[in-house]
Amino acid sequence: MSITLTVNGIEHSLDVDERMPLLWALRDVLGLTGTKFGCGIARCGACTVHVDGVARRSCMIRIGSVTGKSVTTIEGLSDTGQHPLQKAWLDHNAPQCGYCQAGQIMSAAALLADNTNPSDADIDSTLRNSICRCGTYLRIRAAIKAAANEMRRGR
Amino acid sequence: MSRTTRITSPAIHKVTRRRFLQTVVGAGAASLVLGFRPEVLGALSTDDEPNHVFSPSVYIEIPEIGNVRLIAHRQEMGQGVRTALPMLLAEELEVRLEDVVIVQAVGDRRYGNQTTDGSASVRLNWDNLRKAGATAREMLARAAAQRWGVEESSLRIEAGVVYDTGSNRKASYGELASDASKLDVPREPKLKPPSEWTILGKDQKLVDAPDIVTGKATYGADIEMPGLLNASLERPPTVAGKLVSFDASRAKEVPGVRHVFAIDPQPTAMRTLGGVAVVADNTWAALEGRAKLEIEWDRGGASEDSDATREVLQKLVDGSGKAIRSEGDFAAAKATAAKVHEAHFHGPYLVHAPMEPPVATVLVRDGKAEVWAPTQDPLTARLLVARTLGMKPDDVTVNVTLLGGAFGRKAKPDFILEAAKIAQKLEGTPVKLQWTREDEVRYGYYRAQYCQKVEACLDETGTLTGWRHHTAFPTIASTFTPGAVAPAPFELGQGFTNMPYRIPNVALEASGFASDLRIGWLRSVCNTFHAHAVNCTLDELAELADKDPVAYRLELLGEPRKVEFSERDRPHGLDTGRLTRVIEAAAVLSEWGKKLLNGVGHGFASHFSFLTYVAMAVQASVENGKVKVHRVDCALDCGAIVNPDTVRAQIEGAVVFGLSFALYGELTVKDGVVRQGNFDDYPVLQIEEMPDVRVELIRSNLPPSGVGEPGVPPVAPALTAALCRATGKRYRDLPLAKQVG
Repeated sequence: MSITLTVNGIEHSLDVDERMPLLWALRDVLGLTGTKFGCGIARCGACTVHVDGVARRSCMIRIGSVTGKSVTTIEGLSDTGQHPLQKAWLDHNAPQCGYCQAGQIMSAAALLADNTNPSDADIDSTLRNSICRCGTYLRIRAAIKAAANEMRRGR
Repeated sequence: MSRTTRITSPAIHKVTRRRFLQTVVGAGAASLVLGFRPEVLGALSTDDEPNHVFSPSVYIEIPEIGNVRLIAHRQEMGQGVRTALPMLLAEELEVRLEDVVIVQAVGDRRYGNQTTDGSASVRLNWDNLRKAGATAREMLARAAAQRWGVEESSLRIEAGVVYDTGSNRKASYGELASDASKLDVPREPKLKPPSEWTILGKDQKLVDAPDIVTGKATYGADIEMPGLLNASLERPPTVAGKLVSFDASRAKEVPGVRHVFAIDPQPTAMRTLGGVAVVADNTWAALEGRAKLEIEWDRGGASEDSDATREVLQKLVDGSGKAIRSEGDFAAAKATAAKVHEAHFHGPYLVHAPMEPPVATVLVRDGKAEVWAPTQDPLTARLLVARTLGMKPDDVTVNVTLLGGAFGRKAKPDFILEAAKIAQKLEGTPVKLQWTREDEVRYGYYRAQYCQKVEACLDETGTLTGWRHHTAFPTIASTFTPGAVAPAPFELGQGFTNMPYRIPNVALEASGFASDLRIGWLRSVCNTFHAHAVNCTLDELAELADKDPVAYRLELLGEPRKVEFSERDRPHGLDTGRLTRVIEAAAVLSEWGKKLLNGVGHGFASHFSFLTYVAMAVQASVENGKVKVHRVDCALDCGAIVNPDTVRAQIEGAVVFGLSFALYGELTVKDGVVRQGNFDDYPVLQIEEMPDVRVELIRSNLPPSGVGEPGVPPVAPALTAALCRATGKRYRDLPLAKQVG
């Protein structure tokens, strides 16, 4: 069965089982490997993407359920890494191993799209079950606040 | 087992790259290789670069056209090594850090030891990479001086360009590379004094960060190539388990499943497991097929049970073990003591849980194998893949990707050997074996379950006169040598044998336990449980003596002295003066002694590991039955600091890692099977639990020591002490969260 969806602005028609998780369709079928597998049960956040602008855990979404929808992955967040979060991430030297960071950035990007003045509590609740085993949480929080500042100034 | 470290000799030799000259040159310009060991150099002649390359060591290439290249022979797993190694080179070579291209080395003996563990990458390359950079710089400068007929002292070097200060002449390193290669090699290149450093000791951004934040960085799981198939492996429930029979018919009905077959275990290759492999067009089909396998296993008689293990370990420490260190007469001290304080400390098995589960891609073709994997140890992987496939090591290429976290797990190549076995049956087809999180949790090489017993003798004045510490745990050696039970010296040297406090009568004993599980090193290894027992006991003794725990530690350390108790203390020894200094610094940083908010306890711990000195203070309370950690202050002396921001980041990370297992980390075992499987039943620290972390780095010009691991061991005992103070109860077991509620 063919499933049509838009990924990073490009329409795709995929001939895959509609039960395949979006994560594996992105990685194995479309070759978009920036979205990571970490747990498979929506408890770690490494696979976070935007579906119609909402942060979702792609490991638990069937590809069939996003037919006709628009998916954004880390590769599509900005053209050249110029999203305020990506810049703030570099300014704060946030990554360590980096494996979880795309998911963290995608979760944060959805938050900032709605709220450019997030509190610690907003950030904490957005990033609950977005696990970083290297322990970059302090820098993630600081980078999100810096990016939010940047976005407020830009308005 | 082998964990010996081969340090490359600093002696530099000059060799012409004959084959390079034959294949490329024609123009007659000599290219030169300066290697560190003669036996290394033969392999270098395979170079066939399109332009002449001045290669001052096996790790460095300066081409006539293009940027300086550093061959990174250590693996990046979040510790910042792909940034630190080029810093060492760039500082002495006088090039900008951003102008160094980093090439990740394949596994190859010519690079020497490539094992990325033991917090050792910077300290083992501190001298040789700086000397290689300085050697090249001196030769390039001399080439310029000769070309222009000027004194070297009239030259100025900046950002890879040599300037003649007496004229307008200048030449880039590339323009000088060919001339430099004809010169004699300076025997003792002059290294810069720290006061002239412009790169070392300054905050540098991670070189891989731009790729990471845009999703372009390539981890083990991201390897793609035409014709690649995806595999998943159903393993026996126990390490000793064996396959009896399986029915693949339902698995093969899953669309996309191509092959289902069994692979054999390899008990002598770090107890690598076998199982039934499902190979498919994509990962999801492989997982679906695997779920539909019907398999009968022989469990292999595994019977381990966590509660029973706890009792066995406690019985062991209540008896006598192998004497490891003995000073004075502990028995006499105990017989005459006014009081003997006795405590048992327990901790469970732990698993690494790096965000990237193990994954490996292997292609077997024409009698050769190529591997792409996030491995901490490409040389061992190469050797064991060769053995697995009946090939020579030279026929196996191990390409190293970025590691999505490792913490010691990816030092074991079992996942690569499994993939190699699968790929061998599908010759000509690249196969990627992806582990699930459940695979990672259930088929780990675990941090050992342990029991520690400390008996402390006090005389009538309350003075500590005797210390007996008995450690009991299953040894990592059992992973390498089936049947090994006794704890190994390298394990005991981690915070046990080198207990640094000045106590007149000391008896240290160790006992082993035969586990059904695979045991491995996990960030900080045995330091985690030895630091737990030693620090918690000191905290209890300070309380008994009605003394401040910081003052009590300083008193026990006494006047600075340099000691060496075990191989882990080499080559610099343990300087108690440096330990005292970090304790004092952490006390100041944490405002130790200041009155805290009601219900908040302040706890302290210190530890020496990987040649680094760390002291830490934790503020914590219990709110609505839940532990809240408010603030962590840490002082650290790791010798010369290469990249201060990385050191701070590693301490922040160590706090998260330490709090995760101190609060929650617990694997339970029933019938030889680990019962947990994912982050829902093996919780780790979340961002909402993250305390404020303050780090003070002690400035030092001593050789650098470990950074990735030393921050971890003090976390659990400092948190324990804080919670004891906050609640008025004594906690001796880990994890803490379930005891405090």
